[in-house]
Amino acid sequence: MHERIEKLRETLAEDLKSAADLKELEAMRVRYLGKKGEVTLLMRKMGEVPAEERPFFGKLLNELKKSAEGLFDNRKAELESKDAANRWERERIDVTLPGRSFSVGRKHPITLVLEEIEEIFTCMGFKIAEGPDVELDYYNFEALNMPPEHPARDMQDSFYINPEVLLRTHTSPVEVRTMEAQAPELPVRIISPGKVYRRDDDVTHSPMFHQVEGLVVDRGITFADLKGTLLMFAREMFGKDREIRLRPSFFPFTEPSAEVDISCIVCNGKGCRVCGGTGWLEILGSGMSHPHVLRVSGYDPEEVTGYAFGMGVERIAMLKYGIDDIRLFYTNDLRMLSQR
Amino acid sequence: MKVPYNWLRDYVEIPYSPEELANRLTMAGVEVGDIQVFAPLDEKIVAGKIEELSLHPTNKKLQLVKVNAGDALLSVVCGAWNIKVGDLVALALPGSVLPGGMEIRVSEIKGVSSEGMLCSAAELGLDLTDGEKGILVLDEECAPGTRLADILFVNEPVLELDLTPNRADCLGLLGVAREVAAQTGGKIRLPECSVEETGRDIRELAEVKILESELCTRYTARMMEGFRIAPSPVNMQLRLLSAGIRSIYNLVDVTNYVMWETGFPMHAFDYDKLEKGRIIVRRAAPGEEIVTLDGVTRKLDPEVLVIADDRVPVGLAGVMGGENTEITTSTKRLLLEAACFNPMNIRMTARKMNLPSEASQRYEKGVDPDAAVFVQNRAVRLIQETAGGVICRGIIDNYPKPYSIPRIKLRTSKVEKVLGYSVDKEEIKDILERLSLDVSSYTENAGSDAGSDAQGASTGAVFLVNVPSFRRDLKIEEDLIEEIARLKGFDKIPSTLPVGVLTAGRPSKARRVMDKVKDTLVACGLQEIITFSFMNPRLFDELNLPADDPRRNAVKIHNPLTEEQGVLRTTLIPGMLQVMQYNFNRQIDNQLLFELGKVFDPPVGKAKLPVEKMMVALALSGKAPQNDWQVPPVAIDFYYLKGILETLLDNLGVANYRWEEAKLPLLHPSRGARLFVENQEAGFLGALHPAAAENIDLRQDIYLAELELDVFLNTASLVPSFKPLPRYPSVFRDIAFIVPDTSRAGDILQEIKGLSGAWLEDIRLFDVYRGKQMAEGQISLAFALTFRHSERTLTDKEIDEILDKIEKELSRKYKAVLRKI
Repeated sequence: MHERIEKLRETLAEDLKSAADLKELEAMRVRYLGKKGEVTLLMRKMGEVPAEERPFFGKLLNELKKSAEGLFDNRKAELESKDAANRWERERIDVTLPGRSFSVGRKHPITLVLEEIEEIFTCMGFKIAEGPDVELDYYNFEALNMPPEHPARDMQDSFYINPEVLLRTHTSPVEVRTMEAQAPELPVRIISPGKVYRRDDDVTHSPMFHQVEGLVVDRGITFADLKGTLLMFAREMFGKDREIRLRPSFFPFTEPSAEVDISCIVCNGKGCRVCGGTGWLEILGSGMSHPHVLRVSGYDPEEVTGYAFGMGVERIAMLKYGIDDIRLFYTNDLRMLSQR
Repeated sequence: MKVPYNWLRDYVEIPYSPEELANRLTMAGVEVGDIQVFAPLDEKIVAGKIEELSLHPTNKKLQLVKVNAGDALLSVVCGAWNIKVGDLVALALPGSVLPGGMEIRVSEIKGVSSEGMLCSAAELGLDLTDGEKGILVLDEECAPGTRLADILFVNEPVLELDLTPNRADCLGLLGVAREVAAQTGGKIRLPECSVEETGRDIRELAEVKILESELCTRYTARMMEGFRIAPSPVNMQLRLLSAGIRSIYNLVDVTNYVMWETGFPMHAFDYDKLEKGRIIVRRAAPGEEIVTLDGVTRKLDPEVLVIADDRVPVGLAGVMGGENTEITTSTKRLLLEAACFNPMNIRMTARKMNLPSEASQRYEKGVDPDAAVFVQNRAVRLIQETAGGVICRGIIDNYPKPYSIPRIKLRTSKVEKVLGYSVDKEEIKDILERLSLDVSSYTENAGSDAGSDAQGASTGAVFLVNVPSFRRDLKIEEDLIEEIARLKGFDKIPSTLPVGVLTAGRPSKARRVMDKVKDTLVACGLQEIITFSFMNPRLFDELNLPADDPRRNAVKIHNPLTEEQGVLRTTLIPGMLQVMQYNFNRQIDNQLLFELGKVFDPPVGKAKLPVEKMMVALALSGKAPQNDWQVPPVAIDFYYLKGILETLLDNLGVANYRWEEAKLPLLHPSRGARLFVENQEAGFLGALHPAAAENIDLRQDIYLAELELDVFLNTASLVPSFKPLPRYPSVFRDIAFIVPDTSRAGDILQEIKGLSGAWLEDIRLFDVYRGKQMAEGQISLAFALTFRHSERTLTDKEIDEILDKIEKELSRKYKAVLRKI
């Protein structure tokens, strides 16, 4: 009996190795462990063993059965995983083929820059104010301290509809419209993005372009506040290393007035082709609201002060994207607009 | 304004290099655009003294010149004959290079060695009077061998000022000198202007009448006689050239020279051509004419201010003189004008006559009225120096309303309030005085005077500042504050942030709706474009817009740059089609475009401004998807565009809308639809009309839509509303009907919707089939229906009843036959 058990153990181990697939393995399991399997048959033959040896052989046989079951299970798991691996191998695809095409469009570069400027200022608490593109001479010029004889009107050759009505030459009229609507409430804190129009058409001038005007009016607003605000804007827009430089200038609706330069975004102030070797790029005009403007808009210039600034969006977009001809923005060449 | 560096030094000490000066001026608000070197001249071009002249041995058109070059006696061959022994001439030594690039070498000319070259002014690149007619003979004494650059006004750094309109004072070198002095704390040197009057009394000879004292606020006249008209001294000519002014001859050159010095334009009349010696400043009579100095006959009208004699106009005031009284070589007596005119009138005349001149540019910005007499004296003195002659006694000065010097109150408290930092009162005083402003008095703690000061902290000083007439741009306290900040340096201003109550910066709903429109369309694959707000009205014809279409009623631009930009757009479509055409011409066949922008309708009623409407337009052409190896591209059609619009409406939360088939301008007569939102017309959609497409030479199929955004602003909801999740299962049913192919799928869908009752949760058309299994003229429409009851599970029987009802009704109304799926 002992020999038969040991023999069976050996052949079983050998057979298991030779089982090539799950089907063969199952047949083999039946052959050994099934109702008529060899292990079962051997168990039945226990009757032939002397009674005193039965416990010994009984134990041996149970162990054999148990270990055989274990071996079958292991082998089964082994074969199953091999089987799955084969199946998955057959499911192989070419991952180098291109993916499905989803075409997403793109916003116009001017929109992108406008959105960025708007985001910076709205996050600082500036409300967006808007006004008409076609404007009264009063708002575009007179209220902004440019009476008909004012020489500054020369700076902006305008498109007129009739002597009283023109295409706005800047977004500054929105300053007056906003203050008129809000006075005497404080503070006024707005930006006004929009289209503006001037009679000019060349590499650096487009008859239509975009500006963002800014205005803050409150008690105790100073020129230093203007500088701080613009420094914050410059760093948000062009990077935290940016420095700004204010140069005295002239706008009829601000006094004092300043042109604002940022340290060149290409050379960081060392001097290059983009900044004409100066290290600085002019990006906006600004100043303290002229008392005349505050007064006609319903505020007392002795009580409140304000600052205003205005920037050309195309100018900033040209700097940001390295575009050297402003007219490209309005040609709408898809080869340019679709660039990413 | 060109500022020759060394000329400026006549009037003020400049402790800076030209570059540093440029930087300082720029940072003080007098922007220097650029520095150019006027008349660069080689160092080896020197003054040579002619010692001996003889004929060339073989060529009689040449002469041999022995010329003293200081350290050597050189032998030079020369072809000019305007020289004599003893003359100092321009001599280019061997090794020198002329401005034209020609290099001078010792060379043989017709067998004779020439050790250099005598040069004409033109050869030296100097555009002097008669500069081409012979060798440049110097009119100043100097030792032979002296470098020309040391005695002539050449190699001159010239600063080009980009002046802001308020700084008219810097349109003269004296003004710039004052600016420099303000920065250095130095003093300016006024040019010599004392005169010796030895002639007859001007009042016996001439008379000036101002008939328009609003347009001419001051008129001064001086007279001279006995001068010799000739070219100006070489250096005066060169100074004028460096400023960009061509020399004519001494009398005229002096008026220009003085204008450059002072910023005050002058004019010289030939006195003997003035009828009765009279100057009358008046408006032109209707129909009057004048021939101006440029030889052009100009028609005048009463808006034009003229200088007339007793009979006719002799000059356009402040703009250009008349030919009839022009100074010529035979002029014996001259009358000099230095006058002040109304800036606006001069600007208007200069525009009207298309005659912008150095003079009119200065008058347009206003000249210093108190400078007139100084200018006259300076001019006659210079004429005497350059042309000789006798100055008539006296000056006619017609100054009806003398300029009154404004006095401005300046509070140190206000300085701090505006600038955000305090400036010491002594420093303020110093700055104002450096600017030649007269700080007549100041008081401490003028609290009651400055009582309106909101801070109430008017503990500072109050200055009373008298502003001289050359700084007429300084009018109010803030102007003076700017001067203080400017001269202190804007870089001294600290950076602070405004302090105050918080404000909500969040964009309005309208802006957020517009943002969402853009975001949605971009997500649908569309490219945003931006086109001009103007358009060519001819496009209305080309697009076959009917004569009575309201969009033809566009607001005209009075002074457009081109007819292409003649009117304000009333629709975004034409501009969009132009962009499409541009891109088709560049082989871009796939175009999915949109634009968000305003259109302009004419003013309504008494309104002065046009009605501005925000629109969104879409234009599609090509195939989709692009570049996909799995899904073959299909031509973009009506439904592609409609799908995008429906996605957009859905994304905006607009539910109550419908499309209606319509025959619309611009659109294919049987492929167009109107959009209604909440029963309000909101836009259109369709294929571009084939005839219009042909007119503008577009061969591609184009689908267009234009929606009025204002209609959506109220309807759109940007916040989704929550509906409780369903607790009972839904029932799905697909049904298909065969209907005549003239039926409208939309109608049938609406019908089913109506018949399905409140349990219908969703209905979708998922298949349209015509073909083999269909009889001729028949079409199959398949719908997927979802039913659900919120409080219980629906039974099949209940649904079947509904479907039966639908089948019966559709069969009756549309001859529909239920198709077994």
